[in-house]
Amino acid sequence: MEIQSVYLHYQPSNKLSLWIFLLILFLTGASISNAQTLQDGIYTEAQAERGAEDYSARCASCHSIDLRGNSNSPSLIGLSFMFIWEGRSLGELFTKMSEEMPTEDPGSLTQQSYAAILAYILKSNEFPSGETDLASNAEALAGIQITSQ
Amino acid sequence: MFILLLPANLDNWFPTIMRKTTVFAIAVYSFLANASVYSQVFDYEPITDAMLQNPPMEEWLSWRGTPNSWGYSSLSQINTENVGALQLVWSMALDDTGAIQAAPLVHNGIMFIPGPRGVVWAIDGASGDLIWEYRPGVTPSIDGSDIEITAEDLGDAAMAPTAFAGVGRGVLKNLALYDDMVFTATENASIRGIDARTGRLVWETQTADPALGYFYTAGPIIANGILVTGITGCERYKEGNCYYTGHNPQTGEELWRFETVAAPGTPGGDSWNELPLRFRAGGDSWQSGSYDPNLNLVYMGTSQAKPWARAVRGTDGDALYTNSTIALNPNTGEMNWYYQHLPGETHDMDENFESVLIDVDGRESLFKMGKLAILWQLDRQSGEIIKATDVGYQTILNVNPTNGDITYRDGMIPRIGQQIDMCPSTSGFKSWRSMAYSPQTEAMYIPITLNCELATFGPTEQVLGGGGPGPVRRINYPHHDADENLGELLVLDIPNGEVKWRYRQRAPINTAALTTAGGLVFAGDWNRYYYAFDAETGEKLWQTRVTTSAHGFPMTYMIDGVQYVAMPAGLGGASWSSMLPRDLAPELSRPRNGNSISVFALPTQ
Repeated sequence: MEIQSVYLHYQPSNKLSLWIFLLILFLTGASISNAQTLQDGIYTEAQAERGAEDYSARCASCHSIDLRGNSNSPSLIGLSFMFIWEGRSLGELFTKMSEEMPTEDPGSLTQQSYAAILAYILKSNEFPSGETDLASNAEALAGIQITSQ
Repeated sequence: MFILLLPANLDNWFPTIMRKTTVFAIAVYSFLANASVYSQVFDYEPITDAMLQNPPMEEWLSWRGTPNSWGYSSLSQINTENVGALQLVWSMALDDTGAIQAAPLVHNGIMFIPGPRGVVWAIDGASGDLIWEYRPGVTPSIDGSDIEITAEDLGDAAMAPTAFAGVGRGVLKNLALYDDMVFTATENASIRGIDARTGRLVWETQTADPALGYFYTAGPIIANGILVTGITGCERYKEGNCYYTGHNPQTGEELWRFETVAAPGTPGGDSWNELPLRFRAGGDSWQSGSYDPNLNLVYMGTSQAKPWARAVRGTDGDALYTNSTIALNPNTGEMNWYYQHLPGETHDMDENFESVLIDVDGRESLFKMGKLAILWQLDRQSGEIIKATDVGYQTILNVNPTNGDITYRDGMIPRIGQQIDMCPSTSGFKSWRSMAYSPQTEAMYIPITLNCELATFGPTEQVLGGGGPGPVRRINYPHHDADENLGELLVLDIPNGEVKWRYRQRAPINTAALTTAGGLVFAGDWNRYYYAFDAETGEKLWQTRVTTSAHGFPMTYMIDGVQYVAMPAGLGGASWSSMLPRDLAPELSRPRNGNSISVFALPTQ
């Protein structure tokens, strides 16, 4: 709607307006591309590797090396993981991790480490990697839905 | 107790040298060689079966004091009249690399405490001086050889040295003492025999492959000269099930093995319908057992079947021998009887916990309570149900008080993806926090967490390596009748099960209970408090605050005529210690560290 609205006010003879239009188009376009999905390659391989190390050190004693958890710690992989998290946002998962995990020492990792561990969880669930690190704050991840599609 | 301090690897140097000289030598030696230092106890009195079965009241030789697991001490120096004057004698920070849920033992004036991931401490019970520390992979074995356990052997347990031992692996509740040794069970599915005098490893026996998920959180007990313990980590599908084993305490040799899941073609094997053995999960043992020397029977518990919900695990059968009390001959491992408390359990309502052996009107009875807060009284000779008392907190099933039969209430058997409203939550009302019995009041003192849950059970993959408890979308809420209180010490008359008194408060009760002949009951909470109550009236007579959550098994002992009460504090605990307080009492908090032991006594005159 915004694009159409701007277009209606477009005056070809006014170069400034053209630049404003292009700028708004760019920003709006950027905003649209921010509606990312888990299929868009939203973390990097290197980040997931760092996450694997941190996971091993800080998470695996409860959630197991293979992420399948135990009686006290939910699975972070596969059907069981998606049952809990499908339809919720990646930002919500990041918040849960960064505020509540590890349960014995919540919030004790850096935000970058939580993001790397989340990248490792995404990789383990076979979501594709890409060229940009996963953001390390909940706000930036709030718009990304967890879905198997 | 005579203790000599020795530097590692110089065992034979010093016996004749005076203590001060030795300490100086150690300091120099340690500085130069960066060696570990330990002390040695020279007058350690070996423990016999007779001592375990009838311990002097000054000592605490089994995880619940005595083989009948009363959690009761005959000491009365500290009593209702003077408990208000209790004061700290010594305290000690314990290893903060993991969770602690310790049941200290005391013998020969020495307190033995299990720590995170296999660490054991021996501490002078009167002074608080550290005598020795056993640290896996660091402390040499008694013959001086290195302990070779490869990463492949360790599997899941092969974590980085900085790894935190959390709510799963790496937590050990209790030790056992026998002869001149201390016994532990580990997160890498092994049992260790440690020299009680020096803290050095004598033997280690791995009973399963930890890479498959096996580990111990319940320590061993000694019954008729046999070391008996049960393993956990059986929620995942694998070729193999959970079990109890009996071992020679001198060598660690496995003498027998009892599988807790009935295999196809064996008695009870059809109780899982047609499920292949590899998909029969659960039957874990995560709380230690009791022993009746007259009947020569060990009483062990098993956990519920996995995945938790029938619809997820693919059978509505009884699933033997899950969620049962099992009576075993400790010498042979033969099952004398079993009683399955909740056949075909389907909400994660564990009945795995301690068995308290009490003779009632001449009838040899066993009392037990699971997550549903139903008090079961069984005949410990035959396994027959005598009485089931539902305290009325749970909303899941009806139980026949006479024959113990259960009937699930309408709509309460979960379907995949369908939310049900249930009390308690999957955390349970009762858990590992062991109840204690007082013969003075003829009452049971039961730590309870009050809570409910909107629960939606979800699916798992039925493949080897898959399974697990199954996911649960979980919304916790306070119990309807509890006025936002999460913590309760529930006191029931034995055997009638009537409520004698109950103490309720905001924070969950987070320890086992301890009763004493001083007319007292001790327990601690998540919010760092320990309390002493008048066991008869419930009046709170004393309180103190410790380093972090009260956690573990408070106990009492006497050295040189002084009665001490030891109160462990520690991180860890599963949903009842993390999720429930966070969700339902968010104004409370606990420090991120602070594993410790604090020991109290009356002021000296």
